[in-house]
Amino acid sequence: MKALKKPIILLLITTVMAFALLFFYRTPMDVNILYIGGSVMLISAITYFAIVYFKLGDEYLFLIVSMLVVLGTLMLCRINYTYGIKQILWYLISVSAFYLSFFIYKYVKMLNKMGTFYFILGVILFIATLLFGTRSGGAKNWIRAGILSVQPSEFIKLLYIFFLASYFSGKRDKLVFGKIKEKYAILFCVYMYLGFLVLQREWGIAVLFFVIYIAMEYIFEHDLMLILCNFLLAGLGGGVGYLTMYHIQVRVATWLNPWADVSKTGYQIAQSLFAISSGGFFGSGLGLGKPEYIPAVHTDFIFSAICEELGLFGGVAIILLFFIFTYRGAKISLKLPEGFDKCIAAGITVMFGIQTFIILGGVIKLIPLTGITLPFISYGGSSLLSSFIALGVLQALSGREVEK
Amino acid sequence: MTDKRIINILIVICILFMSLIGYLTYLELFEAEELAKSPYNQRQWAYEEDIERGMILDKEGVILAQSKDGERTYPYDNMYSHIIGYNSRIYGKSLLESKYNQLLLGQYGLGGLNITGNKKKGYNLYLTIDHNLQKVAYNSIGNRNGSAVAINPKTGEILAMVSKPDFNPNTLSEQWESLVDNENSPLLPRATSGLYAPGSTFKILTSSAALDLNLQDMVFEDKGSIEIGGKTVSNSGSKAYGNITFDRAFQLSSNVAFCSLGVTAGFDKLKSTAENFGFNKEPDYDFPVAKSIFPLSAKEDAEIAALAMGQGNTLATPLQMALVACAVANDGVIMEPRLVSHATNNSGVTILATKPKQQSVAMSKENADYITDMMVKTVTQGTGTSAMINGITVAGKTGTAENEQTVMQKNKEHTWFVAFAPAEDPEIAVAVMLEYSGGSGASVCGPIVRNIIREYLR
Repeated sequence: MKALKKPIILLLITTVMAFALLFFYRTPMDVNILYIGGSVMLISAITYFAIVYFKLGDEYLFLIVSMLVVLGTLMLCRINYTYGIKQILWYLISVSAFYLSFFIYKYVKMLNKMGTFYFILGVILFIATLLFGTRSGGAKNWIRAGILSVQPSEFIKLLYIFFLASYFSGKRDKLVFGKIKEKYAILFCVYMYLGFLVLQREWGIAVLFFVIYIAMEYIFEHDLMLILCNFLLAGLGGGVGYLTMYHIQVRVATWLNPWADVSKTGYQIAQSLFAISSGGFFGSGLGLGKPEYIPAVHTDFIFSAICEELGLFGGVAIILLFFIFTYRGAKISLKLPEGFDKCIAAGITVMFGIQTFIILGGVIKLIPLTGITLPFISYGGSSLLSSFIALGVLQALSGREVEK
Repeated sequence: MTDKRIINILIVICILFMSLIGYLTYLELFEAEELAKSPYNQRQWAYEEDIERGMILDKEGVILAQSKDGERTYPYDNMYSHIIGYNSRIYGKSLLESKYNQLLLGQYGLGGLNITGNKKKGYNLYLTIDHNLQKVAYNSIGNRNGSAVAINPKTGEILAMVSKPDFNPNTLSEQWESLVDNENSPLLPRATSGLYAPGSTFKILTSSAALDLNLQDMVFEDKGSIEIGGKTVSNSGSKAYGNITFDRAFQLSSNVAFCSLGVTAGFDKLKSTAENFGFNKEPDYDFPVAKSIFPLSAKEDAEIAALAMGQGNTLATPLQMALVACAVANDGVIMEPRLVSHATNNSGVTILATKPKQQSVAMSKENADYITDMMVKTVTQGTGTSAMINGITVAGKTGTAENEQTVMQKNKEHTWFVAFAPAEDPEIAVAVMLEYSGGSGASVCGPIVRNIIREYLR
């Protein structure tokens, strides 16, 4: 009985039940599903025991994420079997990246001195996206290289946090070019990133970047006047954007009333609402709903599919998992001494929290919909990989707190 | 300091997450039903395909509508089109198919758990309709346009309800265009949604008003026509009855007498009486019914006189006039009309049963008894002799209503007959209306009433 109280057991039971259900539901029965479920379970268990055995820091972070990944891959297998398999492969790669980033962060000591490098690398990736990118669903955010499709903004996100952390943990009294205060120079860099994102029509990530900056500015510099100015500037920019850019008008209009043009612009959000509401409190049951009616259900709208088949309680469980994750992240940041590490931990935590809110709020029509992935759950290699890299960093930071 | 601010940020994120949960809950609680019904929601049909829609049966279990392999069929074609309606993927749902959709789908609604993998079965709906009676009413009206409604006055159960013209719900898609274009409006359920001048059948209500005011001892000098407020009103066929009592005036349907009676009673009394019988009230039954109308004001005596004999701007559904007969039959009390008796699940267990419910008190028992007596005499020695049946005391009242077409040409009146039987202990109340039929209520509708009552009391 005592063993049952360990959260890893809960995770394993969930995994076994979920994939067994999927196995029996699909006709003809496909043994591969059991292999997939087994490998997910194995990867989670090994990593968890490694973290516990080698005392690699917070043991809950990875557990929470594993639960999210299990629910995500389960849903993906149900929506589209091939996506499910590919996602597992990406999961394997991502866990390797998790270890890698964990060790790099743990043992490389000069990460806090490379602010300029992060910034420039980010700009290069942005320019590459603009030059070689292909448009997908309105946003120009993919680079195709052979069979691989990479979404650079997912990685720029991490560079951005590292860049901001380098600045906020630095001395902050330098004058750039002899006369400009550093904080204004940073502001310029932030808005340059936002400009790139607007050019790519990545509204969701643009909002995310803005909020991360505001949050870090609030926590580590606390220049309230500057924050106020930023809000005014953002409001102004948003207002001008709304007046001049058709895409933004459409998004706001479909948010306010998706039924006005339900066959075209409002179609996606309407289908999402139908799915969520049809699930009720307990859901239709796995495989018994019709989430395939929602366009892009495997990426941005996977939460709607979860709500339909696993119900309101399933959806709320996902939200609460993300909340516990955010809470653990904040706790790690709190325990760290002032400096680069603390900034990174706070930045990553804010990133996961806000990104989750932006996409979930969008698909349930609480806020205007902006295409952005749901971390650890949405289908997509770039998203999963960058999330696990961030997780690796957070894991390393939690270990540092133990060493202290 | 930074730590406190990190906590603040965490609190903000926490609030954001709580708002997500709150909004999701709100969606499920308050918006889900509306969303499920949205015509853009493909789920509706997808889920329905997984459920075998329940049957609709008459009160004895005769199948009136059933589903097999997703196909809805109606064994009696046109006969129940204006009761059951239709269930079409293209044209949607109407009448009972729409009103009881959830029930017919077994109230699984959207979602639910399917453990066995078998096709789910909806609930079966049993109507109050008596199939044999419906058949007789249906055939009696034949190809004429009109309606017949038969109700058990003591319980409000609708025993038969026919509206013509009608349509065949089995072949809806082939004939949709012509149904919509047809100037006879075959898609209109006349019994419940057709509004007609009630003609002399309204004299039942005028009589009740007069009895309330103790005017039953009035004697009228009937010269065949009378001038009221500068307008001349004549009896049917301009017959002169001489000096007649109130009772006799009712039996002979004297317009002259009832015009004077109406003017004496006054507009307000007529209006309150009509409203007691259900006019000007939005019906709230288990099937859609139009509101019957009595004008809200009338100043001229000529107008009041017209209202007293069921003309003017008074409009009633055939169902409403059947309820008038019910009121007389049931000691002045109108029971709420019902079409659905009960519903069972697939194992035959009753999951819903309707009960008799009083709708309103239309008049006193004394009035009802008095009018019953007059209606019995109407059939034995008045205008309604065509409805007489050997061995059964029938109480009835005829009506012939002028309408927009009679202004131009004669012989286009709506004809009416309301009746109930046996008068001593009524079991059935009937209203029959034929539109633009010409003739008189007695000659055209009387035989239909007789057929229906005879069949039911057989």
